Amino acid sequence: MAEINSSFQHANQRTMLARFFEQPSVGKMAPATAVLVYTILALWTLFVIFPLYWVLITSFKLPQTVNEGPFYIPFVDFTPSLHAWNTLIVTNFADTVRSFFNSMVIAIGSTLFCVGVGSMAAYALARIQYKPKLGSILVFVLLLIGATIITVAAGLDWKIVFSAALAIFFLLVRALSKHFTKQLTNNDILFWIISQRILPPIVVIIPIYMMFQSIGLVDTHVGLILAYACANLPIVVWLMHDFFAAIPIEMEESAQLDGATRLYIFWDIVLPLTRPGLAATTLLTMILCWNEYLLAVFLSTSNAQTMPILVAAMNAGDRGVLWWSMCVVIVVMIVPVIAMAVILQRFIAKGVLTGAVKG
Amino acid sequence: MSSSNRASVTFDKVAKSFGSVSVLEELTLAVEPGEFLVLLGASGSGKTTALRILAGLETPSSGHVKIGETNVTEMLPKYRNVAMVFQSYALYPHKTVGENIGFPLKVRGVGEAEMKAAIFDAARQVELDPLLDRYPRQLSGGQRQRVALARAIVRRPAVFLMDEPLSNLDAKLRGHMRAELKHMQHELGITTIYVTHDQIEAMTLAHRVAILEKGVLQQLATPREIYNNPANLFVAGFIGAPPMNFLKGTLKDGLFEMKGGRLGTSVKGSLEHATLGIRPEDAQISTKKAAAFTGHIYTNELIGDHTLVTADIDGQMLTVKAPKEFAGAPGDAIGIDAPANAAYLFDASTGARLR
Amino acid sequence: MSLADTQNIMRPGNSPAAFSARETWGEWLDKRSGTVFIAPAVILILIFAIFPTIASLVIAVSRVKLTSDGFAFRFVWFKNFSKQFFGNDQIHLLGRFNEMSLFGMAVSLAVSAWAVWWLFSSVKNGTSFVGLIGRTITALVVVGIVLMVAGTAFSGNPWGTLGTTLFYVFVGCGVQFVIGLGLALLCSQQIRGKNFFRVVFFIPLMITPLGVGYAFRMIADVTKGPFAPVWGWFGLGDFAWSADPWAARIFVIVGDSWQWIPFIFIVMLAALENVPRDHVEAAQVDGASGWQIFREITWPQIIPVAATVLLIRAIEAFKIVDLPNIMTSGGPGIATESMTLQAVFAWRSNDFGQSAAVAYLLLFVTVVICSSFFNLVVLRHLKKA
Repeated sequence: MAEINSSFQHANQRTMLARFFEQPSVGKMAPATAVLVYTILALWTLFVIFPLYWVLITSFKLPQTVNEGPFYIPFVDFTPSLHAWNTLIVTNFADTVRSFFNSMVIAIGSTLFCVGVGSMAAYALARIQYKPKLGSILVFVLLLIGATIITVAAGLDWKIVFSAALAIFFLLVRALSKHFTKQLTNNDILFWIISQRILPPIVVIIPIYMMFQSIGLVDTHVGLILAYACANLPIVVWLMHDFFAAIPIEMEESAQLDGATRLYIFWDIVLPLTRPGLAATTLLTMILCWNEYLLAVFLSTSNAQTMPILVAAMNAGDRGVLWWSMCVVIVVMIVPVIAMAVILQRFIAKGVLTGAVKG
Repeated sequence: MSSSNRASVTFDKVAKSFGSVSVLEELTLAVEPGEFLVLLGASGSGKTTALRILAGLETPSSGHVKIGETNVTEMLPKYRNVAMVFQSYALYPHKTVGENIGFPLKVRGVGEAEMKAAIFDAARQVELDPLLDRYPRQLSGGQRQRVALARAIVRRPAVFLMDEPLSNLDAKLRGHMRAELKHMQHELGITTIYVTHDQIEAMTLAHRVAILEKGVLQQLATPREIYNNPANLFVAGFIGAPPMNFLKGTLKDGLFEMKGGRLGTSVKGSLEHATLGIRPEDAQISTKKAAAFTGHIYTNELIGDHTLVTADIDGQMLTVKAPKEFAGAPGDAIGIDAPANAAYLFDASTGARLR
Repeated sequence: MSLADTQNIMRPGNSPAAFSARETWGEWLDKRSGTVFIAPAVILILIFAIFPTIASLVIAVSRVKLTSDGFAFRFVWFKNFSKQFFGNDQIHLLGRFNEMSLFGMAVSLAVSAWAVWWLFSSVKNGTSFVGLIGRTITALVVVGIVLMVAGTAFSGNPWGTLGTTLFYVFVGCGVQFVIGLGLALLCSQQIRGKNFFRVVFFIPLMITPLGVGYAFRMIADVTKGPFAPVWGWFGLGDFAWSADPWAARIFVIVGDSWQWIPFIFIVMLAALENVPRDHVEAAQVDGASGWQIFREITWPQIIPVAATVLLIRAIEAFKIVDLPNIMTSGGPGIATESMTLQAVFAWRSNDFGQSAAVAYLLLFVTVVICSSFFNLVVLRHLKKA
C-alpha cells in the first residue's frame, strides 16, 4: 500500500514538461506526439486543399487580376468577378453545355454498360465453372493475328476476312478440340481480364482510332462509351468478383432449387445483396470516365467533346492560357466528383473497395 | 395433403468423389413415400453430399437417384420438385418475410392473388402470419427458421430436404422446434430427408435413421432398432448418451473374459480379440462379492436424476448409470454386474457384431 | 403414388406449381447462362484490347500513310524499332551515350554480376523451365535498363523518355508509398476527426489529372502564382523552373504524388485497421515501443497489401501522360517526356508506325517489370499471408 502511494506521489511530482512527452496511458499519445501528429495532418490538409482553393478563386478573377500577380483572398485583396462564369455559361453557353452533357452521357452510359457487363462476367467467374481449352484459344489468337495481317497487308475488306477467320475457327475447333487436353480454370480467365489493365491505352488507341474511322464511330458518344467501358472493365470485374464470391452460396442454391434461372438469381438475389459494393464500383467507374483525357483526345473532336477537352481548349488559343475560364470548367468538373468522393469514402472506410486489394 | 405430394426416393449405388477423395461410396437407400428419414453422421461422413446430390446441387460420380419412378440423376434441380431448408436458412435479407416465403411461387409465375393466399397459408402453419412485412434481420433465430420452413412448404414439394436446420438454434429452442417439425411433417405427410449430426434429433424425429460414416452406410433402421440392435461397433458407439462402454478381451464359448472381470453372454462362439459393449444404463453396481467386473472407482458425476460412476477395471474404463444417492469416493473398490442379454459383442478387428 | 403423378410433378407445364410453356425462351437462355454471362465481357476485350494489341504490332512494323480513303500500310520489318534503338530517335528514347562515368561503369558491372549470380542460383534451386525463361527475360531487361541509366543519367548525359518513365515509376511510387503509409499510420492512431482527414486526403485521387496539371502550373508560376513572393524572397523571381530538367521532373512528381498518395493512403489505412487490435495490445502489455510494434507486428501483416498496392500504382504510373503533357509539355527539351507522351507526339505528326513502336516498347517494359514484381514479390507475400 505504501509503495503504491509513493509511486503516485512520484508521478505527481513530475514536471509539466516531463508529462508533455509521456504517454498518459496505454494506447494514448503523449501531448508532444499529439501536437506533432495534428501539425502534420493539418499541413497535409493544407497541401491537399490549397490547389483546389486556388482553382476556385481563380475562376472568380478577372483576366487582369490574374495577370497582375498573386491575389489570395476574395473581397480582401481582390474583388471577385463573375466574368469568367458569365463568359462560359452565358456567352459560350452552347459549347459549355454540350461538353457537360457529352461528359454526362458518356460517363453514365459507359459506366452502366461497363458495370453491367463486368458484373455479369465477375459473377459467372465466381460461380460457374469454365474449362476453356488452351489449344482452342491458341488457334483463335493465331487466326486473329493472321486475319489482321491479311487485312492490313492485302488490303482486303475486314468484314470478309474476319468472318472467314471466325468460320475457320469454328471448323478447326470442332475438328481438333478432342485433341486439346490442357484446360484453363476460372482463375486464369479472371487473371486474364484483370491483367488487361496493364495494357497502356496508347498501345490500343491507334488501332481503335483507325477502326472507328472505318466504321464511323470517331467523335460519337457510342465510340467513347465503348472505349471507356473496355478500359474500366478490368477494375469492375476485379472488384465485383470479390463481392460476389463473398455471398453465401446457399442463397443462390436455394433460389435454384425453387426454380429461378441464373439471370433471375443474378438480378433478384445477387445484385441486391452486393448493393454497397456495386454502388462503390459504379461511382469509381463513373469518376474514371468523367476524368479521362487521353482517349477523348484521340476519339473526339467536336461532336462528342467532353469536359477535359474543353479544359484543354482554354490553352489552345493564341492569347495564352485563359486561366480564369479554364478554372471555371475545372470547378464545374470537380464539384460533382467531390460529392461522389464523399459518398465513396463511406464505402472505403468500411473497406468495401479496399478489400479486393488485400487479395 | 394430396397424395400426389408423397414421393418415394431411391438412391441406387450413388457414389461421389472430389478428385481422388471419395466422400460417398455406393449408397443404396430406399425412402418410402411420406417417410421421415434422417441421415445421421459426423462431419465428413457424406450425409450432406447425399442430400445435395438428391437436390441436384451436386452430380454423382456414378449411380442413379430416383424421385418416385423418375430418374432425376441428370435433371436440373428446379424440375425435381424438392424444397430444401439450409442450415444457414438462406433467407434473402433484402426481401420481407412474405416475399421470402413467396419466392418459389413468384419464379413460377403464380398469380398475385393465388400467391398471397398461399403465402398466408404457409405462414399461418408456422405461426408467422403477423410478421409477413418484417425483414429477416428483425426476426429471432427461431422465427428465421420458421420462415425457411414456410418457404419450403409453400409450394408443396414432393420431397423436403433439410440440412441441419436446427443446429443454429440454442438448445431450448431446438427442443421446441424439433417437436413442431415432427408435428408438421406428420400433418403434411411429405417425404422428408433430414441431415443431422445430432443423435437426439435423429432418434426423436425419424421414422428410420440411416447412419453414415466415411461415406459408407452403416445401418438403416428405426430408431428403436438402432438403439437396441446396433449393426456394428461404430453404430453402437455413436448412438446413446453417455456412450456405450467398450471392453477388450477374449471370447471363449460365449464367455467374455478380461483382466478384472468375466461375463457370460448369449453369443455362441469364440474369438481371440473381442470387444464387449455394455450400455451404462444396462449395467448396475453390485454389492455381491462375485460381481462380473471388479475394480475401483475412477470418478463419479452427479447428473441430476442419476449419477454416472466410472470404474477402472484393471486399466479399462466402465461407466455405470447409478442412482443419484450413490455415494462412493474415487479409489473405493467397486463391483459391476450386467445381464447377459445386455451384452453386445463385436469383432475387435473388423467391428462386426457377433450374434 | 402412380407413375402418372410423378410425371405431373416432374414435367414443367402441367401442374400450377411448375413452369409454364411460355418460359421456354428463358429456359433456353438459362441453359446457356455460362456463355451469356461471360460473352459480352470477352467480346468487348477481344474487340477493344486484344485485336488492337495485335493490330498495333502490325502498325509498329509498317509505315502508315494517310490516303484519301483511309490508310495505306507498307511493311518495313523492324525499321521503326531500330530507329528507336539505334537510329535518329535513340536520343529521344534512350538518351545520349557519351562517355560512361566510373560510377556508371561500377553500377553496370555490379548489376550485371548480380544478374548472372541470380540466374545461376535459380538454376541451382531447381526453378521450373518456364520460370527460368521468365527470370532470364527479367534479368536481361534489368541489365539493359541499368546499362542505359548508367550510360546516361549516371554519366551526366541527357536521358530519353524510357529513363524518364522509369523515373516517374520508381521515384514516384517510392515517394508516394512512403508518404502515403506515413499518413495512414498517423490516421490509424487514436485521433479526433479521423473521418474528416479520410475524406479530405482522399479527394485528390478523384480530381481529373488535367485539372491537377493546370492547377500545379498556376501554383508554380514564379511571377503570378501564390508563391511568387517566396520565389522573389529567394531571388528566384525570374527562375524558369520549366527550363531546368531536374526542377521540371520534380515538379511533375509533386503533381503526380498529390494525386496518387491518397490511393496508397486509403488502402494502407484500411490494411492497418485490419490488423487485429489484440496483437498490438499484447505487444503494448509486453512493453514494446511504437517502432517495435510497427516493425514486428504491424508491418509483417500489411506487407501483402503493400506489395499489391505498389503493383497497382506502378501499373498506372507506367501510363503517365496527362501531367507531363500539361505541366511541362514534356520540356524542357524532352526532360519530362514519358513514353506515352512520345507516342502521342508521334501520332500528332502522323507518324503512326513510330507511335505504335514506342507504345509497344512501353507495353514490353511494363509487362516485364510488373509481372516480375508480381511473380517475385507479390505472390510470395500473398502465399505467406
